[in-house]
Amino acid sequence: MGDAEIFERLKQSMIEQDQDEVLAAVDDALAGGVEAKAIIDQGLLPGLNVIGEQFECEEIFLPELMQAALAFQAAMGVLEPKIREAGGAGPKKGRIVLGTVKGDLHSIGKNILKLLFETSGFEVWDLGIDVDLFKFLDKAKEVDADIIAMSALLTTTLIGQRDVIEALTEQGRRDKVKVMIGGGATTQAWADQIGADGWAATAYEAMTLATGLVAR
Amino acid sequence: MIDLIEVFDRAETGPLTSETDYYMKRYVPKLAELIARHRIKWDRETIINTDDDLTDRVFAAAVDLLAEAGAYCPETNRVMELTRDEIVRACGECPTEATFGEGRERGTMRGRRPDTTDDRPWVHVGGGIYTTDEQIYLDTVEKMASFDIVDSVSVPSILHMRGKDARVRSPQEVLAACKTVRLAREGIRRSGRAGLPIINGISAASQPASMFAASYPDFGLRPSDGFLIDFLSEMVVGYEALQKVAFYNSISANIGSTSTPLFGGYAGGAEGVAVQATCYMIMGNLIFRGSYHYNAPLHSKLHLSSTKPLIWAIAMSNAAIGRNMRYPMVNLPYLGGGSGTKQYHHEMACYLLAVVTSGGNVFSGHPAMSVQPDSLVPDDHKFHAEIGLAAAGLTRAQAEPIAQQLYPLFGDKLKEPDKGLTFQQVYDMQSKRIINDDYLRVIDEVRAELAGMGLEVPES
Repeated sequence: MGDAEIFERLKQSMIEQDQDEVLAAVDDALAGGVEAKAIIDQGLLPGLNVIGEQFECEEIFLPELMQAALAFQAAMGVLEPKIREAGGAGPKKGRIVLGTVKGDLHSIGKNILKLLFETSGFEVWDLGIDVDLFKFLDKAKEVDADIIAMSALLTTTLIGQRDVIEALTEQGRRDKVKVMIGGGATTQAWADQIGADGWAATAYEAMTLATGLVAR
Repeated sequence: MIDLIEVFDRAETGPLTSETDYYMKRYVPKLAELIARHRIKWDRETIINTDDDLTDRVFAAAVDLLAEAGAYCPETNRVMELTRDEIVRACGECPTEATFGEGRERGTMRGRRPDTTDDRPWVHVGGGIYTTDEQIYLDTVEKMASFDIVDSVSVPSILHMRGKDARVRSPQEVLAACKTVRLAREGIRRSGRAGLPIINGISAASQPASMFAASYPDFGLRPSDGFLIDFLSEMVVGYEALQKVAFYNSISANIGSTSTPLFGGYAGGAEGVAVQATCYMIMGNLIFRGSYHYNAPLHSKLHLSSTKPLIWAIAMSNAAIGRNMRYPMVNLPYLGGGSGTKQYHHEMACYLLAVVTSGGNVFSGHPAMSVQPDSLVPDDHKFHAEIGLAAAGLTRAQAEPIAQQLYPLFGDKLKEPDKGLTFQQVYDMQSKRIINDDYLRVIDEVRAELAGMGLEVPES
């Protein structure tokens, strides 16, 4: 089997969200002498891109996205040690600390975003729901995050997003990390008002936004 | 029906599992299996389903979903398990009517069967949009309550105390909830219909302390109003919700079990949302002891309810419950178009044709995805109530071709909806009369369009 076929098999197994087949394809590729980074860049990530497009077009939904993410994570469990052994840097695009703000218990939008971030190559620390503002700050400092991403569904919890930005400013760390916001109650006007670096209406837009923010 | 405290105990005694495992190992595979097992399929064209065998299969799948996946309590990390017998028995003992209001405004919302054309559905108007000004708040509520055809209202929210944001769980949130209720009741008194019920007096998103405080009788709410208790995420039954269940059952208040299954979320697409929405109504009766249900499926990306697959799923859930339980229900729509726009009226007409003929009662909806302040224009809601009452004279089969004519008028606009008007742009702020001729012209034109499609909408 040539490299093109190997990469096509990896891509198709991701598109089909078939974890067993993904792992088998990864094993076969490694056994065939394909480098771990090439497996990711030319096989798995192209498959994930298709998954992302299918999600955006409503051909697949959150359950399929989660299956794809689990398959990708399982593959990365095999490939990351190989990359480290070879002395290569991790293939991550950037580091994101993610959570739903204090007082807000909604998780689905944030969970979708987590999957899209992970499957598009970001390293994500998901702090969950009802997250205290200092947890955002402390985790961002601990992992040297590029982005803090905050969700708020309720109008009464929007203030939590502003609090995090104000606390970053008070600590003199506002320029160390980008802040992006989203969620049902948010708007571009709100993002502008509180000085966020970006706002996205959908999880897919947020993924594109994050890619742009780390590239700046 | 099993004892309420026994229901609470199930959150303490079920199998331990993480939320991720609950979704990935129980819920998601079970829902997919049930959709296949019960051969549930949307044909991607139909808006209003008329296949009763399919409808009953959706109901059976919903029963199976609760019986085989269970609900999930995040505070205890346990699955709340209920047996099929317990579920089926509760469905059989479900309330089929709920009485609201006081004095001459007292009335009964009934569970309706699909294709019932000889009854008058309950007419509920309004929405939880927030207002920027107390006077606009009072005027909005007064005007909605003053329409004779209205049986109950939802009222806007107050988000500020002395000009500052009322943060969730703060003392200001408690005060804002109390203030909202006081102003709402005052607005209703000014309409001359003091006994008219408020069905959403306190936002379902409020913390229990705010809801309980605002329920203090002196503020103006009574057990004969309605109190919303919601499910947080698919199948999730949180302690805050159960605290509210405990309290409102203790004062024999009308509980509106409330659910927002997400299209594109854990339930997936149209078929999954139809099953999940139906399952929530079963859960609302059994777990929340609801008197009625607020059914509010929503698109996870567009934040509205008026896409074709969603309207199909919402109507399907109404028909499934109407045929098998007759739990009284209203459907809370979020529309893309702003107030006073043709798009908003077209979306509402399509939605109401679907849900009212499928067994739902009449509920006007949120314009502009509920994010535009002061966008609750009462005369929109009167018009939509009139559309809903007209729709009640049709069967699903009669409504479907009209819905199919309406959908192309707004379907392509949902991603970038038409902007609308605010209260201030429609009414004279002194006399409260409509001063915007274009606003009235649009309503007249849509009324004529609907008549041309076969739906005569008499003005009340």
